[in-house]
Amino acid sequence: MKRVFVALFVFCAAAAQAQTVDEILAKYFENTGGQAKWEAVQGLKTTAKLNMQGMDLPLNIIQLKDGRQMTFAAFQGMQFYQEVFDGSTLWGTNQMTMKAEKSDAETTENFKANLAGDFISPFLNYKKKGYTVELLGKETMEGSEVFKIKLTKKPIKVDGKETENVEFYYFDAADYVPILSESELKSGPGKGTVLQNKMSDYQDVNGLMFPFSMTVSAKGQTGGQTINITAIEINPKVEASVFAFPTSGN
Amino acid sequence: MKKLVNILVGLAITSAATAQDAITKGKELFGDMKARHIGPALMSGRITDMELHPSNDRVIYAGTAGGGVWKSSNGGATFNAIFDEHCQSIGCVEVDPGNPDNVVWVGTGETWTRNSVSVGDGLYKTIDGGTTWNKIPGFEKSERIAAIQVNPKNSNEVYVGVLGALFNDSDDRGVYKTTDGGKTWSKILFVDKTTGCSDLIIDPSNPSIVYASFWEFRRSAWNFNSGGNNSALYKSLDGGKTWAKIHKGFPSGKLGRIAFAAATSNTQILYAVLESEQDKDKGLYRSDDGGANWSKLNGDFELVVRPFYFSRIEIDPRNPDVVVKAGLSGSISRDGGKTFKTLGPMHSDIHDVVFDIKNSDRLYAATDGGVYRSWDGGTTMEIVENIPVSQFYHISVDNEDPYNVYGGLQDNGSWFGPSSSPGGVEASDWVRVGVGDGYRVLPHPTKKLIYSEMQGAENVWRFDPAKDQAKTIQPLAEKGDPKLRFNWNSPMATSAIKPDRFYMGSQFVHRSEDMGETWVKISPDLTTNDPIKTEQGKSGGLSRDNSGAENHCTVFTIAESPLDENIVWAGTDDGNVQVTKDGGKTWANVVGNIAGLPKNTACWHIEASVFGKGHAYAVFTGYQKGDMATYAYKTTDFGATWKSIVTPEITSFARNIQEDYVNENLLFLGTELGLYITLDGGKSWMKFTNNMPAVSVHFCDLQKRTNDLVMGTHGRGVIIIDDISPLRQLTEEAMAKDLHFFKTAPAIIPESNGFGGTATETQFVGSNASRSAKIVYYLKKRHTLGKMSVEIQDLNGNKITELDAGKSKGINIIQWPYNIKPPKVAAGKTFVFGGFTPLRVQAGTYRAVIQKGKDTFTNEFVVQNDPNSSIPLADREQNQKIAKKLFDMNQELAYLVYELDETAKAAENVKAKSSSAAKTVTPLINDLSKLKDKLLITKGDNYVGAGEPQLREDIAELYGKVAGTFYKPSDAEMRNLEALSERFAAAKAEFKKIKDKHLSKLTEVSSKNKLEPVVIKSFDEFIKSSQ
Repeated sequence: MKRVFVALFVFCAAAAQAQTVDEILAKYFENTGGQAKWEAVQGLKTTAKLNMQGMDLPLNIIQLKDGRQMTFAAFQGMQFYQEVFDGSTLWGTNQMTMKAEKSDAETTENFKANLAGDFISPFLNYKKKGYTVELLGKETMEGSEVFKIKLTKKPIKVDGKETENVEFYYFDAADYVPILSESELKSGPGKGTVLQNKMSDYQDVNGLMFPFSMTVSAKGQTGGQTINITAIEINPKVEASVFAFPTSGN
Repeated sequence: MKKLVNILVGLAITSAATAQDAITKGKELFGDMKARHIGPALMSGRITDMELHPSNDRVIYAGTAGGGVWKSSNGGATFNAIFDEHCQSIGCVEVDPGNPDNVVWVGTGETWTRNSVSVGDGLYKTIDGGTTWNKIPGFEKSERIAAIQVNPKNSNEVYVGVLGALFNDSDDRGVYKTTDGGKTWSKILFVDKTTGCSDLIIDPSNPSIVYASFWEFRRSAWNFNSGGNNSALYKSLDGGKTWAKIHKGFPSGKLGRIAFAAATSNTQILYAVLESEQDKDKGLYRSDDGGANWSKLNGDFELVVRPFYFSRIEIDPRNPDVVVKAGLSGSISRDGGKTFKTLGPMHSDIHDVVFDIKNSDRLYAATDGGVYRSWDGGTTMEIVENIPVSQFYHISVDNEDPYNVYGGLQDNGSWFGPSSSPGGVEASDWVRVGVGDGYRVLPHPTKKLIYSEMQGAENVWRFDPAKDQAKTIQPLAEKGDPKLRFNWNSPMATSAIKPDRFYMGSQFVHRSEDMGETWVKISPDLTTNDPIKTEQGKSGGLSRDNSGAENHCTVFTIAESPLDENIVWAGTDDGNVQVTKDGGKTWANVVGNIAGLPKNTACWHIEASVFGKGHAYAVFTGYQKGDMATYAYKTTDFGATWKSIVTPEITSFARNIQEDYVNENLLFLGTELGLYITLDGGKSWMKFTNNMPAVSVHFCDLQKRTNDLVMGTHGRGVIIIDDISPLRQLTEEAMAKDLHFFKTAPAIIPESNGFGGTATETQFVGSNASRSAKIVYYLKKRHTLGKMSVEIQDLNGNKITELDAGKSKGINIIQWPYNIKPPKVAAGKTFVFGGFTPLRVQAGTYRAVIQKGKDTFTNEFVVQNDPNSSIPLADREQNQKIAKKLFDMNQELAYLVYELDETAKAAENVKAKSSSAAKTVTPLINDLSKLKDKLLITKGDNYVGAGEPQLREDIAELYGKVAGTFYKPSDAEMRNLEALSERFAAAKAEFKKIKDKHLSKLTEVSSKNKLEPVVIKSFDEFIKSSQ
């Protein structure tokens, strides 16, 4: 499930008959609300649900432009936090003790390395963030003709070794929105597996277009986990305390 | 906002127009249909080349004979496939030493030129560590690339050694060089059309020095020749501008394949293994002056064995006197090549060995049976267990549930294994049913017996797996018989009509009516019986190689018509198609009726059709004559006339065809570069690429009960496409609709609920077939904008559950594992397993309702209980009844706890107002607290720190036990239920008593303190809420 959270809000949109990657990205921002409007977003509060064997697991996700974020779920009366970042500490709830625990140093450093870049869209002002993009051509994904764009973010460390941090985005050439992204798991038991995040059900929120359905799965495997978004609040009021690492556990 | 809407409308119009214009095919059409891989990996398969990252000792690449390129990022513990979309036959992998994290080159086409070797399609390069690969123009006809060397000081300067075509003359051979990273190439050393570059090395200390070995070689289907006057070892001092032979000290006369290596720790030290005219001259040579002079050191068996198959030398990068030679077992010298000892036990046939970049105790070996690791310098070898690159020659299936897959493997015996297994298909699921090289394995049609064979039908076994008894049953020459010529890969066949009938093919068709006990030849020699092609004793060239692999003029495929036992087809490797309509009394060679088929093109497969007695398909391969064209034909008149059913959409030669048993126009073609499917009888073909590598598909079979297409691949094991029946229903009319539901067979609720398998973390585990109910539909366009949802309803429209929709263009498959939902359990301090256990749906007819924007699409489907279940219906109903009762108890208790918590919360609010208020409500708070302690665990954690289970935990536990099975609840469970019901009733009564006693006072004090009274949601509202 953690992977779902990671993949949740990395999205972008829309390409056109454009030839260069910058034209495609410019068109995307224009089509989905306009670059200025995207830039004005300071934070998002998202309500979503995961369908688990017929039962809805409700999720609340807060993300701020400065990198602070939080994912919260309540289940069977217990409260879970995942991938919470308060500006310096990345933490989550241990499901045995139900207490807060810090992420390992490398995970935290990797999170911080791309901190400023991923909010709202990694493509928004990507050059300023030190990211690079490249149009690799057209191919077929999800049965649709798509532009394949390579996004290179800042390098991360994998078990102590610096590693390139690359994601691929596929923009539907007919509907002008990205419908799929791919990234390789760099560590853990699934190391080497390519994760796919399929984006659909784009809907309007105050003039900005967001994908309301995201399905994360291992490439080549059937199934996957879908997150269905039920509401998005733009620029929500958030207390700083919600991100804070609890001093006496959680 | 208006602007946005306008854009969306505009987009919708544009995309509608695009959708109408587009021809839906291939990836677009197959959508969600995915292949699954079941391995096996326990014996892995042939590895052709190992390559290391020059500075990161965790990164290792393995090139394989038929399974593409694999990469390890964890020091060889596990590997992942990184080359699935391209030709899977790999000659060499080269990491650019100047940019090793990103730039890797792959030369396709294995160079260990055994009879069954595949063919490459060129040179590839990645600049992103293997995520994407670009084909480099200019090497399309290279067929086999032996070596790639990148100048360590200049990544744009690359040398490529092309061995080239095996079966024919070719100009595409020799040494090629680029100085612009692969954009342009020049051929800098070419010898002749029969002699290719078999190895190539740059001196790492001086990249202007280049060595290249050249090999004169040729294979035909019936002969192999290694060696000639043009084989040589060359050296260039000027980056390939000029070359000179460095043979001083080599024997005179013809040479064969030359293995060659230079020590990186002292590049003046070179080793070469020569194949020469005289046996006394064959062996290891060493030069200590950069090749100016050579002297012979050793002619041990392991050094000179089968040069065409073993021709690699590896030198310890830290010690020029430690040398490993690939061979039958592989051998290592620690005295500069004077003496050798064999490497530790591992799968035989070692093609390559590499030493770790930092530690000479660590080394990796490429064998016919996978990648092996050593931690002690090669004495102890252990196999990497997750590389399923097994090379099947043939597969078959039975009708068990789950069905088994049978097949034989290159150098790895014969096996069968289940198509699905608890926990996935694991190494331990596979059963060995033959040794040597395995080929065809057939289950007896009705008895639990298995026919298997080894190379050249040296042994054919009838094996009883239950008794673990094998009997040899092959046809043998009788008085008056000529020598029986069996192909290396001998045909066998059973009959759909006579279960005990069994066929084998030599140059004759042999038939047994008693499972191989007695044989009758039912044909004359059906081949061309060409004496030139039957002199295998002379095969090999400078090294005699009469393994039997070149046996020719043999029957290669036999097929009895499923409609008439007297109609038998036989195809031969020298290009005949013979048919008898009278059980073998008379035969007609009908190959001459095939227009456009070159003479003597091997008939690889005949498929006798179920749609007519005279109907059959024949597939031919000419690659062993250098002809890469695709040949597949259909006849409907016993071979009197044939129609080609291939199109230019197919990019490689084919070996096998499988017809659907229901839709005559649905055909599956196994080619050297993957699977192709036609829906229109061969007028057009689409490549199937969903989790399906571009692997050589040697054989396909269709499991009749499940409609699964099962493929025996020569490099990626068994690959299955589950239930191809939607393809039968793909009509133009269906594809014209926005959404079209496919008919599905009734879904059977599986009753297995075991404990999974035994695989360890680093072992390959094949994925199982899904046993969920499937809602299958075709979408004309990918759903991207607006909402799309799926609900399962009963026939009265009551919602059962929600599912996540598939939104791909083409075929979508939604899985429903028969769940309704788990119960809502009381809010507590611990997880209860029962809260994760969904209530299961009952057998019946259901409706899938898809809401896509404003449009609604519905389709009914049937769910059934397992007809083979041993559980009586009444028991299953009792299970359902009790599970539902416990489900309700969980939710009722959740509601009671909710009400209790809300009441306690209100009381706490009141308590905080004043001491008199506190005095009034404290007894209520105390009573509620005492009751709650009996209802659920209120302290501790989710592991061993949890408190003693209470009512919540006990009810959920019992619910989980009952709902998790299909059996009638046991007597103990029923008594436990009775006890829990009583405790629950008592708790309810106690709660009522507390409320009766205290609630009016709470209301009164709340009102006095201007606090809202307790508002309790209704039960239904509570269940729906996220509270």
